[in-house]
Amino acid sequence: MDFSLTAEQSAFRDTVRAFLAESLPDDIRDTVRGKSHLGKEQYKRWHGILAKQGWSTPLWPTKHGGTGWSPIEYSIFDEECHAHGAPRVLPFSVSMLGPVLIAFGNEEQKERFLPGIQDGSDWWCQGFSEPGAGSDLASLKCAAVRDGDEYVINGQKTWTTLGQHADWIFCLVRTDPKATKPQTGISFIVVPMDAPGVEIRPIITLDGSHEVNEVWFTDVRVPAEYLVGEENKGWNYAKFLLQNERIGIAGIGVSKNELAGLKRLAGAEKKNGKPLIEDTAFKAKIAEIEIELRAMDITNKRMLVETERGMDPGPVSSMLKIRGSEVAQRIYELKMEASGLYSLPFQPHAGDAGWNDELIGSLTNAKSAPLYLNTRKISIFGGSNEIQRSIISKMVLGF
Amino acid sequence: MNFDYSEEQKMLVQSLERTLTKSYTFEDYREQLEARATHAPELWESLAELGIMAMPLPESAGGFDGTHVDVMAVCTELGRRLVPEPYVSNVVMAAYILEATGNSDKLETIATGETKYAAGFYEPGERHNPLALNTKATTTVGGHTLTGHKAVVLGADTADYLIVSAEFEGPSLFLLPANADKVTLRKYPLLDGRGAADLILDGAQATLLGKAGDAGPIIEAAVDRAAAALCADTIGAVEEVKDLTQEYLRTRTQFGRPIGKFQVLAHRMVDLLVEYEQMKSIAMEAAVEARNEAASSRMRAVSAAKAKIGAASRFFGQEAIQMHGGIGMTDEYALGAYVKRMLVNETLFGDTEYHLNRFTDC
Repeated sequence: MDFSLTAEQSAFRDTVRAFLAESLPDDIRDTVRGKSHLGKEQYKRWHGILAKQGWSTPLWPTKHGGTGWSPIEYSIFDEECHAHGAPRVLPFSVSMLGPVLIAFGNEEQKERFLPGIQDGSDWWCQGFSEPGAGSDLASLKCAAVRDGDEYVINGQKTWTTLGQHADWIFCLVRTDPKATKPQTGISFIVVPMDAPGVEIRPIITLDGSHEVNEVWFTDVRVPAEYLVGEENKGWNYAKFLLQNERIGIAGIGVSKNELAGLKRLAGAEKKNGKPLIEDTAFKAKIAEIEIELRAMDITNKRMLVETERGMDPGPVSSMLKIRGSEVAQRIYELKMEASGLYSLPFQPHAGDAGWNDELIGSLTNAKSAPLYLNTRKISIFGGSNEIQRSIISKMVLGF
Repeated sequence: MNFDYSEEQKMLVQSLERTLTKSYTFEDYREQLEARATHAPELWESLAELGIMAMPLPESAGGFDGTHVDVMAVCTELGRRLVPEPYVSNVVMAAYILEATGNSDKLETIATGETKYAAGFYEPGERHNPLALNTKATTTVGGHTLTGHKAVVLGADTADYLIVSAEFEGPSLFLLPANADKVTLRKYPLLDGRGAADLILDGAQATLLGKAGDAGPIIEAAVDRAAAALCADTIGAVEEVKDLTQEYLRTRTQFGRPIGKFQVLAHRMVDLLVEYEQMKSIAMEAAVEARNEAASSRMRAVSAAKAKIGAASRFFGQEAIQMHGGIGMTDEYALGAYVKRMLVNETLFGDTEYHLNRFTDC
């Protein structure tokens, strides 16, 4: 038993640190550190910088532009990015669509779509959930009907993250309404967002931000070659896609960084004339979550080491999704608590580009309640924590 | 990075498992409990023969120079089998103190299991602080005499010798035979069947161990080693509780179906599994760090583990009893024995609150 990084892993960490110190633009770092909303241009610029370094699609097979990093190395990279205030690369193209195209797309599709994912020139969004298909995703209704060498799409998608910036959307659509099982009548298809009949409307969330959208399809025609893999096999591709989310599922990097922020905040806030961080009760709350995160960091590494050895980590990745979301949410909750009264003035756009209002309280205070509210989502998306519990109990109890 | 036991450690666990399967069944545990016996000499002897006493001790004393991960491997099995033998008080605590105070010549009979020691720091009214000393030592012609009261000293009921902390130009450690004059031992079994005693010292003759006033860091290090060992002990117990509860949910039928099919129970079981993985992770770190000479990093790791495992194991016990229903309340069923084992581990060598506070202060 040995918890330390190998010499190679430490050297790798130093390389990542040096790259981030040198290449991360100040404005992007400040936006991330201030918890303000990144603009489309900032996302794309950072993606481009990573691409130039060859690090935008690290987990892809090396012949398609992956870095060949081990799971542990990837987690080192991820943690360092968070520690330095680098934005995460949006998962929709790189972590979700890319691996599906590589595994199931044809050569033409790979040639056409992979370069734009890699260099970040194409912005992709995800079209899975529907108003009537959330946890029960297989009940989705958005339909694609073959008409000559085209598909005609009608229906609605929702919770489309950052779809307002997107050039493309990848969708699960129903192609066989008569299939014996709902899962077997689903296909995986890509659609340009500027196709006639695609309409997008914002959904404003509790924190006042425009992150997610509704997307409508009315007689949208796309060429049949936009179908990925085989017709009616889309559910398998979607399952494959969700499995790829395992590495990084616990959000260790985010939580470590947020915990450091919580400690700074509790050091700056006062209670009875003394720093809040010296208050016995508040100190204990921080200690509890810090210990939980410390344990989770090890649980996560145990899983990564097993993955590295080619073993199936089984239910542990779902466990990490559950506990990882609980830990992160608790930290955001404590940051709001630490902000006290100044968590209350509602300033959802504080610090965003073009925001010129007078700041009330500190920027951290101003962002604390919006972030608390925003991050209630993390125990809901990507398979809610209840769905994760059902997955695990099925694996361990057999029903 | 590597989170596995070595091949040697795996073999050690296997042979310990074999011995305990043969010589210490749950029925043996129950019988011993009934008889209020906290120690079985034949079992102790066979454990010594396996080498688990010698294993963590230095080679010069007939030991194998083992690490605290070795101790973790042993203690996990002792917890899993509810073994009440005074392993931690002897091999983990007393052996370390004797070595740290320049008394390595006494380790050889610990390695063979011939001599048993117990170490008492805590005092009534001082809760979990091992350095709060009302026990006093005074110098006499023959050496020193001790006056004071030590609370719930693990293993003292069966010990041949006692190690006691006392105020003497600062925190100091003393050694005395358990049958010395002017020492009263109030012996009792703990909730789970392990043995302990309160020590009443009324001018008892004792020998100073190490230098006067220097014992603070040694006491803290001894407590950390013991705390890490009990964390491992709880992991063994928790693994049994986890398996019992899972099996019960699979096989107990009510309303015409196994109760594990009810989502409200299935999801609670999953929460226990998450807690288990977290406890195991942090217990591993405590074992790796337990002998770190950098005190603050060691204390943080051990306190993190003791606090997390204390709180999580209590939750585990409560949930396991609740999900079992009535059967979980019976003394005959093994679950309760594990719940009590975990409670004892939770409270000895600093409870959850104590370690949560210490975690933030070091």
